[in-house]
Amino acid sequence: MGFVKVVKNKAYFKRYQVKYKRRREGKTDYFARKRLVVQDRNKYNSPKYRMIVRFTNKDIITQIAYARIEGDVVICAAYAHELPRYGVKVGLTNYAAAYCTGLLLARRLLNKFGLDKIYEGQTEVDGDDFNVEDVDGQPGAFRAYLDIGLARTTTGARIFGAMKGAVDGGLDIPHSNKRFPGYDSESSEFSAEVHRNHIFGQHVAEYMRSLEGDDEDAYKRQFSQFIKNGITADNVEEMYTKCHAAIREDPTPKPKVDKQVTKRRWNREKMSRAQRMDSVKQKKASHKRALEAAGDN
Amino acid sequence: MCCVTSSASGQTLFGHVTNTFFSVELCSGTIIMTNTKGYRRGTRYMFSKKFRTRGVIGLTKYLTVYKKGDIVDIKGDGAVQKGMPHKAYHGKTGRVFNVTKHAVGIIVNKQVKGRIIAKRINVRIEHVRHSKSRLSFIKRVHENEQKRALAKETGVPCQLKRQPQQPRKGHFVRSGGVEPELVEPVPWRFIA
Repeated sequence: MGFVKVVKNKAYFKRYQVKYKRRREGKTDYFARKRLVVQDRNKYNSPKYRMIVRFTNKDIITQIAYARIEGDVVICAAYAHELPRYGVKVGLTNYAAAYCTGLLLARRLLNKFGLDKIYEGQTEVDGDDFNVEDVDGQPGAFRAYLDIGLARTTTGARIFGAMKGAVDGGLDIPHSNKRFPGYDSESSEFSAEVHRNHIFGQHVAEYMRSLEGDDEDAYKRQFSQFIKNGITADNVEEMYTKCHAAIREDPTPKPKVDKQVTKRRWNREKMSRAQRMDSVKQKKASHKRALEAAGDN
Repeated sequence: MCCVTSSASGQTLFGHVTNTFFSVELCSGTIIMTNTKGYRRGTRYMFSKKFRTRGVIGLTKYLTVYKKGDIVDIKGDGAVQKGMPHKAYHGKTGRVFNVTKHAVGIIVNKQVKGRIIAKRINVRIEHVRHSKSRLSFIKRVHENEQKRALAKETGVPCQLKRQPQQPRKGHFVRSGGVEPELVEPVPWRFIA
């Protein structure tokens, strides 16, 4: 290998234009964000609400927010880690949990704005087409647009489960059936039955049954928390039905409890100027002493 | 009747032409080569993005609210080709008279030969900014309102008008131990 020119030299760095911070972090898709967030100019300050759905490895985050220059304002949020309060203690990131979280978000929001009596949404969950309609003489339905982030839109994705939950909860989110589980792309047909099964976690129950039959050890390893909480394949649907009912009954968020935290440092505090100067003085003195001692010997 | 001649100039080496220049000559024999009328002629630098500002446009531009009567600056943004103002309006300031979905209508003054016309142009949001020229006036109005309210409460008369810089009052100056030297103009004397 002969001489290879250094690519990242001073000139490179001088000319380099960094991408936006959130793009560098790989968290925001600005192409999508511009189209989601921007309101028509002739609607001036009226907010354009979006339903944000994000999945982490162990949690689901759903929020309703609108954009302002100072920063987006979140008016309502629901997390999957709140579901234990409504009876769902395990499987917090599956399709059924996503549905519950979306439902919780919708009911919470409508409750907050006093619209929950007017817009009940779909109380009998059947996984079928449902679009909220404006009720005459009353405030219009709450409209939000789904914000997926960087998630891939595939048929049967859990993000759409969260959206379905919100829609059945009474929010007006424009959507189509194409990406729900139960949609057959070859025949362009939607099976509400399959979708309903997913909403009630039947796909999880099926897997539980098949594993239990085939391989006990794998079943114990995969569904250890389910077993611990006494959830069997037959209980699953009931668990989610109860959850839906509990959510509809009391969607208000639990008030935050202020924790008393004693301040603790994880690293050393920076020295003051006086301390630094003194430290240098001490080092010089000790070095001088060492030299003198060596000179004597 | 006009004749079109083409003259090939430039070195011809080994039978291959390196430089050809074509000109259209009218009967009168003059060559017309006026400025081209391209819409964005001469805007190579005007509409270019400045150093290290390329790429995605920040959302603040899309989130600012414009109302009728707002005073706005027009500055063409090369990253968005739609709804660009003509180069003549780049750097001009005008008043909003109309707001549509993605653009605003602005009334701008344009000098055409000997007169100034108030023109109405439609410009997309990306090429428009709130002008700060109005801000100082608005600020002063608010301050005056406060002063007036305060004066009403306390009964102390308030000075609302802006005063130009007044001549300096008499004051003492340190000379640093130096004796001051009086400097006067020499009295006029007629010199032949």
